[in-house]
Amino acid sequence: MQKDIFLAGSGLTRFGEWWDKSLRDLMSEAIEAALASSKLNARDIDLVVVANMLSEATNNQAHIAALASSLLPHHPPALRVEAACGSGALAIHTACAFLESGRAKTVLVLGVEKMTDASSDAISEALMGAADSELDAPSGLTFPGIFGLIAKRYMYEFGLTREQLSIVSSVHHKNATENAFAQFRHELSPEAVTASPFVSDPLRLLDCSPISDGAAACILSTTHTSGMRLAASQIASDTLSITERPTIVSFPATRMAMSQALREADIERKDIRVLETHDCFSIAAVINMEDLGFAKKGEGITIYEDLFAGRTPLFVNMGGGLKACGHPVAATGIKQLIDIGKSLKRTSARYGLAHNFGGAGATCGIHILENTNV
Amino acid sequence: MSYSAPIVHRAQKREQEKQLPGIVMSFTTLAHPPARFGRRPRQIGLIELQNGRRVLGSLISDEPFIGQQVRPRMRLSHVTEEGLRVYEVAYEATVTVEIPQKFSRYILAFTGPSGVGKSTITTMLAHACSDYAAKVPILTTRAPKPGDDGEYLYTTETEFERMQKAGSIVAVTRIPSSTENRQYGYRSTDIEAIWNKGKIPLVVTEMGLLQGLARHYGRRSVLSFGLLPPGRSKRARLSQLLHRLRARGRETEDNIHDRLKNAERDLAFFGERKDLFDHIVVNEDASSLVVSLKKKVPGLSGASV
Repeated sequence: MQKDIFLAGSGLTRFGEWWDKSLRDLMSEAIEAALASSKLNARDIDLVVVANMLSEATNNQAHIAALASSLLPHHPPALRVEAACGSGALAIHTACAFLESGRAKTVLVLGVEKMTDASSDAISEALMGAADSELDAPSGLTFPGIFGLIAKRYMYEFGLTREQLSIVSSVHHKNATENAFAQFRHELSPEAVTASPFVSDPLRLLDCSPISDGAAACILSTTHTSGMRLAASQIASDTLSITERPTIVSFPATRMAMSQALREADIERKDIRVLETHDCFSIAAVINMEDLGFAKKGEGITIYEDLFAGRTPLFVNMGGGLKACGHPVAATGIKQLIDIGKSLKRTSARYGLAHNFGGAGATCGIHILENTNV
Repeated sequence: MSYSAPIVHRAQKREQEKQLPGIVMSFTTLAHPPARFGRRPRQIGLIELQNGRRVLGSLISDEPFIGQQVRPRMRLSHVTEEGLRVYEVAYEATVTVEIPQKFSRYILAFTGPSGVGKSTITTMLAHACSDYAAKVPILTTRAPKPGDDGEYLYTTETEFERMQKAGSIVAVTRIPSSTENRQYGYRSTDIEAIWNKGKIPLVVTEMGLLQGLARHYGRRSVLSFGLLPPGRSKRARLSQLLHRLRARGRETEDNIHDRLKNAERDLAFFGERKDLFDHIVVNEDASSLVVSLKKKVPGLSGASV
């Protein structure tokens, strides 16, 4: 990083199904919480970066950056970024570019999604916009379908069993029981995951992250310091369509962003003890462990088996991940950074990493947060 | 999100490029496909085409597996709200005929016009591969003739009809002739007895019997050979048959006339019902044909002639 950028404040709405809250309500709630958690005045914010994927499709609302700006008294300049489920990380990365260049000193990064107003058919169709509309969508594929293909192939190549895979959601649900902002705060047994209905063979309902409403806001600043400093901000891209990749059981964008982030933070992988990873589907969490380098190829599940048995020093998806905390698409990447901050405080670990991707890993963003009090 | 006519048309154009065979890299079944594809679960495959390109498409296969060979098939996918008919390339698993190791449920059939040499060929095969194959006797209502060499079981018309009604005859044909009206058929007990010995039943058929066998046991249970007399034209082939029938010396001229008439029909049948034959071979010289047949029949290639 060319400048020291600090996490000066953060705020979340609880993720879930909020019939009575609009896009505007969700954004307001997160912004107020972020400001309240900081020592800043709203007028200190000199730029707003909004992450959102679906507001046109589900809320008839474009121009959402101006909507966010209008929620602040001085209407600072605002812009919107989009990289499907990776929008949150992209927004943080964009904010870093403004902060590093000196164009802004304090940036409000806001991720919001209001998904439950639309029918599940409409949402499913809109989410498929994160894949290639000409190469992938005409076949009738949906996102659970894409990850179903990935899971089937992964099981074929590495012999992962259905029972093993069910551990992933179970670990995430257990973590969410303590998280006041999580959509699902109940425990879930691996057997219940295995017994849930098929969505896209071999994936079952409880392998999939839910449809959620929610907003996450964080304030990044070069002038207002805090104990949490951004040590790295990297994004990487891959082909949009899975048909154009040599393999579907690994996401090269994750590997690239990870190696660049470690280099930027000038740390080693073993220095990271706190981890938020993008578990849009259980199989993604398994693959991510390998792509991030915490497990060898084909052995990602061992991390989850260790987490399940409580025999690892790693803290993974402490807030419940996408599965249990909820997945309001563009808010997720920002929520991850906020959760890393909380986990670092709680565990007194020094480095935490947030891994967020869009589509089937076509955009990947990685942020490393340093707890400077350690 | 909407799929307007131009988008559909461009997508259709791209579908043409997907018309290649390939192999299944992965597959999934969507319990709830997008509404426009209907409410039924949809099986989708990631296919690697022959040219190395990968595509996604609907997969038609009862038991899909990674590495399965598939062929493209253009079919109607759905009709849009505007009434636009959208076609797609679906991938269909190529039929892999599983050859059972013990040949337990499997029939080797030879079909061809009278005089083409069916009996000679099957007798030679049965003799050469007696450990692997055995001839199935033909049940007939016709009277025994001097030239018969044990291939027929004789019965009366009444008995034949009784067995047919009881369902113990699996394939029946009535061969019309100006001199007599006779029936031929196979008994399931004869075929099953050969299977139980672990051998392949060899049958000499004509079109009626072949269709009967395929109907009763399933087309895939019959490895079917069509035998043609040598000759380039129909006329040359028929004259070959005439020559052979006369040389056999078993038949009267009237019978030969009937047989030639039937033979003409049989030859046409080869063209009309290609689906009933796995191989069509020309019988120029019986012993070299037997050698080449053995190569075409899995499990017989080890047998010595």
